[in-house]
Parts: sequence; structure tokens; C-alpha cells
Amino acid sequence: MSAAEKMSRRDQMETLLPFYLNGSLEGSDLEAIEEWLASDPAALAALGEAEAEFSGATAANEAIRPPADALSRFAKALDAEAGPARKPAGSSWLAQAWGRFMAVPVGVAWAAAAVLLALVMVQSFVEPGGKGNDFEIAGAEDDLAKMPFALVKFKPDARMSDISGFLGSNGLKIIGGPTADGVFRLGMPAANAADYTKQIGLIAAQPFTETVIEGRKPVDGG
Amino acid sequence: MTAATETDRALVDRVAKGDRAAVRLLFMRHHARVYRFVARQTGSEMMADDIANEVFLELWRQAPGFEGRSEVSTWLLGIARFKALSLLRKKKEDWIDDEAAAAVPDGADTPEVVTMKEDKAAALRRFVDALPEEHRVVIDLAYYHGQSVSEIGEVLDIPVATVKTRMFYARKKLGEALKAAGYDRGWP
Repeated sequence: MSAAEKMSRRDQMETLLPFYLNGSLEGSDLEAIEEWLASDPAALAALGEAEAEFSGATAANEAIRPPADALSRFAKALDAEAGPARKPAGSSWLAQAWGRFMAVPVGVAWAAAAVLLALVMVQSFVEPGGKGNDFEIAGAEDDLAKMPFALVKFKPDARMSDISGFLGSNGLKIIGGPTADGVFRLGMPAANAADYTKQIGLIAAQPFTETVIEGRKPVDGG
Repeated sequence: MTAATETDRALVDRVAKGDRAAVRLLFMRHHARVYRFVARQTGSEMMADDIANEVFLELWRQAPGFEGRSEVSTWLLGIARFKALSLLRKKKEDWIDDEAAAAVPDGADTPEVVTMKEDKAAALRRFVDALPEEHRVVIDLAYYHGQSVSEIGEVLDIPVATVKTRMFYARKKLGEALKAAGYDRGWP
């Protein structure tokens, strides 16, 4: 008989609680925990203790900060392994978008931030497989190419984990970029113009967003 | 299976076809967790930096062979675990004297004294940090990485029953440490 099999029911339930909390429990284990929580007064207190452990473990992990330039260094290592990336060709579409972007009246501080961001975070991130379009990701599907999007620049001190968490929870995707100046093309799952405007506002409100400008909008009724 | 997981797999498919943008997207999505996982395992952020980078290069190399039998995150953590153990074996004597030694609790404060200075949450975090590695890693994988019992077994290459046994002892030790510090939670 294994150690796990020798456990008392309480021991077994306490062992399963972390997996109940992280949502990975299923089948008979899930049923057993739910029955225990419903029937034993001590179970809810135990759940509270497990939640405190959850918070403690999360805090201990998130106290560790990955280096801000990790992505940049990884891209260089990847290029060293896979061969040099091609520089993107110019595009009138990009030139126009960039012209609008630079026209945003946020002054010298923005320009300095742009340079800093380009140096620290994304300088080497040119798309290797683009075919005459600076922002297209190599291998992107047709629906990505038609997806509504915005052009976004993140603050120099933006953390990758914050950005990726925000993108993931809102169904947004980086579908292109960054350019040498740090501009990303953000695909947006907007069904209509109102959704699009709402999502632009949401992106603009994030503390890590430097600037966002509108790109392709969804066509209502189309 | 969540939509996010399907997207991970779709990205791995793109990586398998040589799409560098896809591997960078996966890096952005998973790097922080892989980095933290290795940092917790090795006690060295320098090693975590090297290994996390290697994990994603390995993703680039191995993507064509990825069969999707596990979640991409589980696969990456498994690669990270393997690389960390390999490097630890090579560098053990070098790093144990400095970084890791600094990370090991010095024993100057008893749990009671520590708790006088901290609230329960901070004490609990400290007790999680002080768990033996084999116990702490299952706590981290379950609570922070959201892994299931079977996924943890896959990452650590141990049977499911062993995962449960380690979780049992990990939580028991946390309970005992809390109790010693004046927080009796009724179990164990």
C-alpha cells in the first residue's frame, strides 16, 4: 500500500485542495472534494488555508522579475541559431501610419521613450519572413491579415508579463511588429465599430500603453 | 482544453514550419513563468536567465516533434526542469557557495521570532520558500503554474501517487511551520 493510499480522508482532501483551487481537479477527486466541502464544517476553513498558501506561493514567484531585455537577447540567440533575419522592406502603408503616429503631440518625452524602448526592448525585432509588408508575421493566415487592428507603442518600463496577461485576457494578439521604432500591430477581435472603439479605449487606459492609434476597423454589417 | 491552449499549439505548429515570430510570441507568453520556475529551482536568477533562453531555443529545435500529448506550458516546464537539473549537476559546487547559500534561510530566527515581525501572509510566503526543493516545486507547480497532478508528474518525471505524497508532506510542513509560529489551522 502506498503512502497516498494510507492517508486518512482528511489527509486526502487536504492533498487535493491545491488542485481544486487551480481548477485542474476532475472526476471522482472533484466529486469527493465538493462533497467534503458541502458536508464538513472544517472543510471551508481548510479551503481558506489553502487559498492563503496559493497567495503565498504566487507572491513568492512573482517577486522574481525576469530581465527586461530577455526577449531581445533571445531573438539574437534565435537568429544566431536559425540564421540572420531579413530586414523588412519599406511600405507606404507603414510610412503613412508612422507619420500619423509621430504627429501625436506628446513631445520630446515621447520621442526619448521611443528611443529607449527601441534600445532596451525590441531593437532587434524585425520580422524575418515578411514579404514586402513590414508588419505581416511570416506564416500568418488570411484571417490575420484581415483582422481589425491598432498600432500600439508600449512604455519603456512595461513588463512583458503585464502586457501578455492583458492581451490574453482580452483576446488581443500581436500580429505584427515591432518596427525598429517599437510599434506593434495589435489584432483585435472586434465584431463592429463600437467594439473596436471600446477596445481602443481599453488599450489606451493600460498603464503600460505609451500610445495607441487606430488602424483597420471592422466593417459594420459587412 | 482552453482556447489559449489551442493557440499555443497552433503557434508550435507555426514554429515547426520555421516561423520565428511564433516562437517569439510563445516566448512572450511563457518566458516569465519558465524563468521563475527555474529561478526557484536553482536559486540563481543568472542560471534561470540562461536556462529559460535555452528552453525556448529547444522549443525552436523540437517543435517539429511536438505531438501535442501535453500542454505546451507543461512541455516547456519539463524541458526547463531537465535543463536545470543537468546544469545544477555540472555547476553545483560553483554556485552553492554564493547565490544559493545566500538564499538558504540562515536559521537565525525561529518561526516564532519571524512571525513577530511579519503577518501571516508574509510568514507563509517565507515558509513556502523554505520548503525542501522537492516539496516546494509541487507547491509552485500547483499553485502558481496551475498544473494538474498528472501534469506535475510529467514535468518532474514522477508517478502521480508520488506527486500526491509530496503535496501532502509539503502542506503538512507548511501547517506545522504555521503552528509553530502561532497560527494553528487545524490540520495536520
